[in-house]
Amino acid sequence: MDASLIPLLPGAQVLLTALVVMLLDLFIDEHERGLLAWISLLGLALCGAEAILLWGSSEGTFGDTLLLDNFALFFTQIFIAVAALTVLSSMRYVRETGIHEGEFYSLILFATTGMIVMAAANDLMVFFLGLETMSVAVYVLTGMWRSSARSSEAAMKYFLMGAFATGFLLYGIALIYGATGSTNLNQISAYLLEPQGQWPPYLFVGGLLLLVGFGFKVGAVPFHFWIPDVYEGAPTPVTGFMAVAVKAAAFAAWARILMHELSPLDSDWALPLRVLAIATMTIGNLLAISQPSVKRMLAYSSIAHAGYLLIGIVAGEEWGSTSLLFYLATYAPATFGAFAVITLLTEQDKPKEDYGHFAGLGFKRPFVAMAMSLFMLSLAGFPPLAGFTGKFHIFRSAIIAGHTDLAIIGVLNSLLSVIYYLRVIVMMYMNEGGVKGKSFIESPYLYTAVGLAAAATIYLGVLPMRTLEWSRSAFSSLF
Amino acid sequence: MEHNVLTYMIFIPLAGAVVVLLLPSQSYHLIRWVSAAVTVPPLLMASWLYANFDTTTVGFQFVQKAAWIPAYNIQYFVGVDGVSISMVLLTALLSFLCIFASFGIDKAVKGYFALFLLLDAGMMGVFCALDFFLFYIFWEVMLLPMYFLIGIWGGPRREYAAIKFFLYTLFGSVLMLLAILALYFNTNPHTFDMTVMMAQAKNYSTQSLPFWPFNELRWGFQHVVWMAMFIGFAIKIPAFPFHTWLPDAHVEAPTAISVILAGVLLKMGTYGILRINYPMLPVATADMAYWLLGALGAWNIIYGALCAMAQTDLKKLVAYSSVSHMGYVMLGMASFTTQGINGAVLQMFNHGTITAMLFLLVGVIYDRAHHRNIEGFGGLAAVMPVYTGITALAFFASMGLPGLSGFISEVLVLLGVWQKYPGLAILGATGVILTAGYLLWTVQRVYLGPTNEKYKTIPEIDGREIFTLVPLGAIVILVGVYPSVVLDLLRTSLDNLNQIIIPHLPS
Amino acid sequence: MVPLDYYLILSAIIFAIGVVGVLIRRNLIIVLMSIELMLNAVNLTFIAFANSLGSMDGQVIVFFVMAVAAAEAVIGLAIVISVFRHRQSLDPQEMQLLKW
Repeated sequence: MDASLIPLLPGAQVLLTALVVMLLDLFIDEHERGLLAWISLLGLALCGAEAILLWGSSEGTFGDTLLLDNFALFFTQIFIAVAALTVLSSMRYVRETGIHEGEFYSLILFATTGMIVMAAANDLMVFFLGLETMSVAVYVLTGMWRSSARSSEAAMKYFLMGAFATGFLLYGIALIYGATGSTNLNQISAYLLEPQGQWPPYLFVGGLLLLVGFGFKVGAVPFHFWIPDVYEGAPTPVTGFMAVAVKAAAFAAWARILMHELSPLDSDWALPLRVLAIATMTIGNLLAISQPSVKRMLAYSSIAHAGYLLIGIVAGEEWGSTSLLFYLATYAPATFGAFAVITLLTEQDKPKEDYGHFAGLGFKRPFVAMAMSLFMLSLAGFPPLAGFTGKFHIFRSAIIAGHTDLAIIGVLNSLLSVIYYLRVIVMMYMNEGGVKGKSFIESPYLYTAVGLAAAATIYLGVLPMRTLEWSRSAFSSLF
Repeated sequence: MEHNVLTYMIFIPLAGAVVVLLLPSQSYHLIRWVSAAVTVPPLLMASWLYANFDTTTVGFQFVQKAAWIPAYNIQYFVGVDGVSISMVLLTALLSFLCIFASFGIDKAVKGYFALFLLLDAGMMGVFCALDFFLFYIFWEVMLLPMYFLIGIWGGPRREYAAIKFFLYTLFGSVLMLLAILALYFNTNPHTFDMTVMMAQAKNYSTQSLPFWPFNELRWGFQHVVWMAMFIGFAIKIPAFPFHTWLPDAHVEAPTAISVILAGVLLKMGTYGILRINYPMLPVATADMAYWLLGALGAWNIIYGALCAMAQTDLKKLVAYSSVSHMGYVMLGMASFTTQGINGAVLQMFNHGTITAMLFLLVGVIYDRAHHRNIEGFGGLAAVMPVYTGITALAFFASMGLPGLSGFISEVLVLLGVWQKYPGLAILGATGVILTAGYLLWTVQRVYLGPTNEKYKTIPEIDGREIFTLVPLGAIVILVGVYPSVVLDLLRTSLDNLNQIIIPHLPS
Repeated sequence: MVPLDYYLILSAIIFAIGVVGVLIRRNLIIVLMSIELMLNAVNLTFIAFANSLGSMDGQVIVFFVMAVAAAEAVIGLAIVISVFRHRQSLDPQEMQLLKW
């Protein structure tokens, strides 16, 4: 039996950091807790370096239940980058809101560990464990602002929906296990490829339940209704983390399981997935228009973006999957950046997230407003920003795969989305009033996070080639 | 001939925008003069281009090509030919002059000039791009600063005007994007290279789509793509019925932005049709030209002139006169005769200079009187003789007085159209009379007659304003007397365009 | 020997009871218990399959699921307490601070 531990390295690195942070938290003075954030960042940086060094490897361990290939490493990089940005942008936030720092950082790291396991999981059971590691940590993160009633309520809703979805997912896994005799993706795939008469009916039921479970996790319509509430109530840096990293992790697992290993079932997936994609895009966009709060609008917009990502899953094959990975990379900085800007505007227990609070921001804080405009325009898909290149590749892959109608619906939807993204910009530059002066969250680290996100948004828009190459080689490592 | 002069012309303003952003925001003078300095090199390069442009070859000149996203055959590819050279010159000139016309801006100065330079880069890029992807990106890049410039520095209803402008244009560019993708997937190998697409024009299917019920009217792939592109460009021109954003945008925009809007942005519509629809979709062009370019153009002329006649706001009047004058461009393009198409492109250039003068002049009076109501003036000629003289020159050029540039292009257009569609030529000529009507009427109400008491002491036009107007006036007279300075640049390329279409024309 | 289908049907029924419980019960503690019921129905499915396939995997998985379920229950109860402190009620219908 192979027992190489190298494939565990990135995950273990983050886990170790989490444990160090958690333990150190007990022995450190109240005012020195800022150190914990730096330790977390150091751990994440080490993990990132390991992921770069391991790029190109394709090694399984523990009986092929965990597979460290480029696909896993690509997502690991996204998770680490987002986790690092989250730590940066919450350094001041956690102190001011009375969130316990040590626990906050270690929970971020635990969640990241779970995500890394999800992306590398080659076994439905290992995937499930990664998912739970991540979910449980994020449930707690959502409710960590204990003095805020909204935060606890959001945590409650997230927990209920998450656990409910877990039930479906697990039931799906059980039925697939029963039908194929294994939870290992390679063996399931081998079973499905065997020419034989009849697949047991519960295989399809299992697949459908898996679909429902994933639908909940990525927030696809009609399983989306928890997203706005949870995103709105959670502490804003955590919302950014959820909207990007958690969603990316769910898509990573979905891509690996549905697109590659269960690909013989493709013809059965196609129709429900198409319906899901169209409904998710359209309903997400329509509901986003009528939201009074920017944070809630971004929650609905993240639903709409899940819809675009589903196009990538539907398109499947080489191009669809490559563009799915690339889209996630382009979606990440803009979404995270937008939430970071909202974090910047927070005041003590007074969330400043209505459209009105952005009024006149363009003149009071020009650089923050400029970054926010960049994020909005990128999400709306304006060239030459990241969102445009991402959308372009998604729609292009849909056309190549013969789903021209999906591409057209997608383009029309992104036209629709301009309405609400533009509203933020109109508020910032063409209205007076709004939030005065500085908020209590001001910190150079938060500005750094916003700046990094803005830089990434421009970089991925103007020079997408390298990331595109990475996503392609990440995808081809699945075979 | 590999050359990077065009690249400099595009990216110097872009670099300038970044530099302006880094300047301290309170030092207004520094920001203004740095911006002005940034627009000088492109202007000098444009003169150099003019001097070195080979008027005898058909192909693209000063091209530069580099791989950008090789996986999808996307390149950085720029170059000019006879269709675009005059527009590049116009853009360089108007950007330079408009910076000076913007010196009066005192709200968020830094942002204004940075956005202006970004707009400049985008406009240059659109006229130079020979890769469809690049073209689309510049097209969109240009849209954003325009939106902000109207929305932040505009008049009282700026927000409405900016959003209307934005949504109209965005709708058009989304259609255009779909058309671009359709062409991309029907080109072998898939590429965004415009020259390849032009070479493969005959491969784009003209077979009627299966569900199309009318046998006598062809409606194939080319026609669908043509239509999508056309709507995208028609919004920019703006052709009836997509013109309603224009008066709003013009009325609200600050003077310099109106100048750019009318002088350069409107030309992108007709430029796009000539650059893309004509050589890439020749069969569809031949099938559609009469109704959608010719007849619609004639209607634009009449409709724009009638609307202009009904206006009480001086700036709105000039805006509707643009709708009317852009009609001549469409009409001339549709004739497929040497005179017609040369006249059309010359009209694009002339309209750019004349309308720029008109908007600058309206800006001068608005800065002094703080209103633009035509009825609210009277007898300005006595108070502001120099101003009135320049205005008269611009008005006469606009109505096509012989000896001035507008005359040459309108006569060429009408001559060309007369050979093919006499009916449309008569309609077009009616437009000339209507134009003379509303312009003379305006001159009479604003400048002649008894002097309005309120404006007895209004100051005369100042040096900076004259500086922005004189070069334009000189060009208007020069082209009017000796049109070959511009026409020679265009002829070879435009004749070639005609030759592409003519074989497909229905006999 | 009891056929496999019987186990599957039983666990499907238990799972359905759990789902309905989550959807209609108006006490958070009972909702939590319903979620546990769903997970235990899945456990039953795993064991039934493990038995009929003659592989140990399913039985091992059950231990994993039990551990995860325990962790979830702990977190769930902690969150319930935190909510209860804010509003002195366990009725999910009353959680109206964020539009549901």
